[in-house]
Amino acid sequence: MFILTEAVLAVLAILVSVAMLWGKNGEEHNKVSVIIRNSDDSRWAAFRYGLSMAAQDQGVEVFVVNTGEILSAEEEYEALEQEINNGADAVIVQPVPGNRTEELLKRTGKKIPVMLVECPAAKEEEISGNVVVKPDNYALGKALAEELLSDYSGHLEGKTFGIVSEGEISGAVSEREAGLCAVLEEQGASRRWSISVSPVKEEEPVLEKMAKTDFVIALDDYSLVLAGKAAEARNLHGALVYGIGNSMEAVYCLDTGYVRCLVVPDDFNMGYQSLTEAAESLGHIFKKPQSRNVSFTVMRRDTLFTKENQEILFTMSQ
Amino acid sequence: MVVKNKDFKKLKPQGMQSMIMIVFSSISITIMLILSVLLYFRFSASSRQEITGSTQKLMEQAGENMEDYLVSMRQISDTVYYNVIKENDFSDQDNDIQQGMKLIYEANKSNLRSIAIYNNYGSLMGAEPVVLQKEDPNVTKQGWYEQAVGEMENMHFSTPHIQNLFDDAFRYYWVISLSRVVELTDGGVPQSGVLLVDMDYSGISRMMKQMNNQNNGQYFYLCDSSGEIIYHPRQIQINNGIFNESSEKAAVCKDGIYDEFFEEEHRKVLVNTISYTGWKLVGVIPYSVFTHGMFDIRYFIVLLILLMAMMLGVVSRVVSVRISSPILKLNASVMEYEAGEQPEIYIGGSMEIRHLGDSIQRSYEQIDTLMHKIVLEQTERRKSELDALQSQINPHFLYNALDSITWMIEGEKNDEAVFMISQLAKLFRISLSKGRTVIPVSDELQHAQSYMNIQKIRYKNSFSFVQDVEPEICSYCTVKLILQPILENAINYGVNGMDEDGEIKVTGRVEDGKIIFAVTDNGIGMTEDEVRFLLTDGSRIRKHGSGVGLVNVNNRIQLLFGDEYGIRVESEPDEGTTVYVCIPAVPYTEESRKTLEAGRTFGGEGLDEE
Repeated sequence: MFILTEAVLAVLAILVSVAMLWGKNGEEHNKVSVIIRNSDDSRWAAFRYGLSMAAQDQGVEVFVVNTGEILSAEEEYEALEQEINNGADAVIVQPVPGNRTEELLKRTGKKIPVMLVECPAAKEEEISGNVVVKPDNYALGKALAEELLSDYSGHLEGKTFGIVSEGEISGAVSEREAGLCAVLEEQGASRRWSISVSPVKEEEPVLEKMAKTDFVIALDDYSLVLAGKAAEARNLHGALVYGIGNSMEAVYCLDTGYVRCLVVPDDFNMGYQSLTEAAESLGHIFKKPQSRNVSFTVMRRDTLFTKENQEILFTMSQ
Repeated sequence: MVVKNKDFKKLKPQGMQSMIMIVFSSISITIMLILSVLLYFRFSASSRQEITGSTQKLMEQAGENMEDYLVSMRQISDTVYYNVIKENDFSDQDNDIQQGMKLIYEANKSNLRSIAIYNNYGSLMGAEPVVLQKEDPNVTKQGWYEQAVGEMENMHFSTPHIQNLFDDAFRYYWVISLSRVVELTDGGVPQSGVLLVDMDYSGISRMMKQMNNQNNGQYFYLCDSSGEIIYHPRQIQINNGIFNESSEKAAVCKDGIYDEFFEEEHRKVLVNTISYTGWKLVGVIPYSVFTHGMFDIRYFIVLLILLMAMMLGVVSRVVSVRISSPILKLNASVMEYEAGEQPEIYIGGSMEIRHLGDSIQRSYEQIDTLMHKIVLEQTERRKSELDALQSQINPHFLYNALDSITWMIEGEKNDEAVFMISQLAKLFRISLSKGRTVIPVSDELQHAQSYMNIQKIRYKNSFSFVQDVEPEICSYCTVKLILQPILENAINYGVNGMDEDGEIKVTGRVEDGKIIFAVTDNGIGMTEDEVRFLLTDGSRIRKHGSGVGLVNVNNRIQLLFGDEYGIRVESEPDEGTTVYVCIPAVPYTEESRKTLEAGRTFGGEGLDEE
């Protein structure tokens, strides 16, 4: 009896010691890698800030992979594999447009949780099994159109507009375009032209070559800044610029009056929510991450420095 | 009954060693647990105090740094106002003003974003660094301007905001504005204006970030007197409604430490007011920080308890063995004694147990002495009884024998009388046997023969007497005069009265270590009732003979050899009677004789049914 009691106590003491040591060693944080195109670009500032805030709140390590302007599906897959090999517990990916992406992401999704950001709705359905955090691109386009409509009190008959967008993110852009055109064309405005611009090509004054329109509508940050600069250079034949953007350059264009209206997707929340979902899915076996739509804000020059807008600008200027 | 036995098993008292060990261990573990709990709470309280104290010191230090920083900003504002603005006229000394502002700006530009002077219409009078002003910044509607004009006698610190005054191509600066109404001179005409010193927000945010670099859950934030956040590590989360903060509550608190239950969490809130601005530097320590710090301590205390329990187990075992060992040894020696052995009673251990052992030892010695004395007394008593029984024979027989001799002499049967007397002499010689009780079987048989010779004469050979004895039994021991009374009874109750057919036979044999004598007569025999009372009630047989019955013989045999020996009688009416005498087969030597006479028996089995 005595020996049995002593043996039980000894086993308990060993278990407690092991638990102590395991507790000390087990304080390593989960690591989440983020693969986004042109990761150093200022348009990702709010997104990155959202990531870092969520990482702080969730107690995970976040690592944003340094990528260039162009990212092919294969390069993205290679980066993914490398991050997994480097010990990433989850990844947040901005999927590259293309058919290969679906196949490659499916392959990765079986190993670790994969969160998608800024993925067009069509892709979301195709890349089944992955969770998407993104703005509602159709609603973005629609909101922009409604702002334009309100400027003209709903009278857009005979007005013309041109659409400029960055070709590489065609999935999201096409949704925004659909939302935009659905409102404008219903109100009698007509699309005169629609062009794609690319950040990798040498900058050419493409917009001044386009036919004169009443409005130039930019559907992404890069094209909005391009249109803003063109307006500043008076190369738009007097067209008013409306657009969707999320960089301080875009804000500056609004502030200086070269852009009439700016719709800003909530990139901070996109970063924050995607990382939170990823971290929570790692921490809880039975918790399934959920897809989310983030909101957006409409900014005008006169309301640019309201308290609410300053909070958005704060995230963009980090 | 079975249930009772089970209950008895359950209630069976524990061994002394187990009892001591259980009691000792229980008391030790209870005390240890109480001490551990007290230690944990004491340590926990001390750790909590330490964390709170260090946080408070950190906040005081940071508050002083921030005050120094804000004081330096106010000094800049004062310097610009009193040394530059008041000393110069904007109409003709704008260069001196610009130069003065530049000097001050350059000296403090690590913390400054800009210095600007506006007149009472909101027009820019001067600014450093010199940059392009925005088209229409609408200065008079900006918060800092309104604050300054609203309370003209004070300096005003704004909350952080984007500077919306100058065009710096894509760059927007976060600043905290220090504004005041100043009196400026333009063309000799004094007028009021507003002096704006924009501090770089990064100066304060850097200070706050340094404070918030601990990653244990505690954090610090800064708010103004209305609770509006100036810096918070989760500022955007608060704006987005992801996180909440009780800054409005903290803003109205005096400096001190408060307990708060906020958002389902207990936490300690430390408030420190920054002088002049009314800003509150707030430190928040969730209780989870204290428990997180105590996590290792809990494990440590559990480990300590387990190790202590193990050690106490060993110690209590050693102590209990040490205490109980002498008592257990004493108990074992007593039990051996009770089992019939003669061990030395254990005397050892502590003084009390030694005394106990010594007492028991002496008690047992006394008991032995008393027992020996009792045995001696019993032996003496038995011997006395035996002697008394033997002495009953002589008068009766002597009377009868002498009576027969008298008859012979009277009848002038001298030869027969001589034979009778010689036989009587043999009889008496053996009867006396030098006072011995134990004699050889041969003597006893001789005695029986002499007796029967005398009786045959007396009864005129009306019966025959035969001895059929195995010769080897003659050398064994027997109690003297055991056959004679049986023969006497055989004559008196058996063959007496028969014509000439009476026959008495004595046989003797050794069987299983015993000597069996059988005295058989073919007389009238007895009924079963008479046989039954023959050995139990000596007083019933008194009609004929010497009066010394079989009871006498039986008692003597049992007194000497033990209860397992004695006499057994078989009889059948009109057929005859056989009396069996059973004694142990003890070879006759002087030593064995003395041993038997001293009262010690040789053991053996009882008289078997034949």
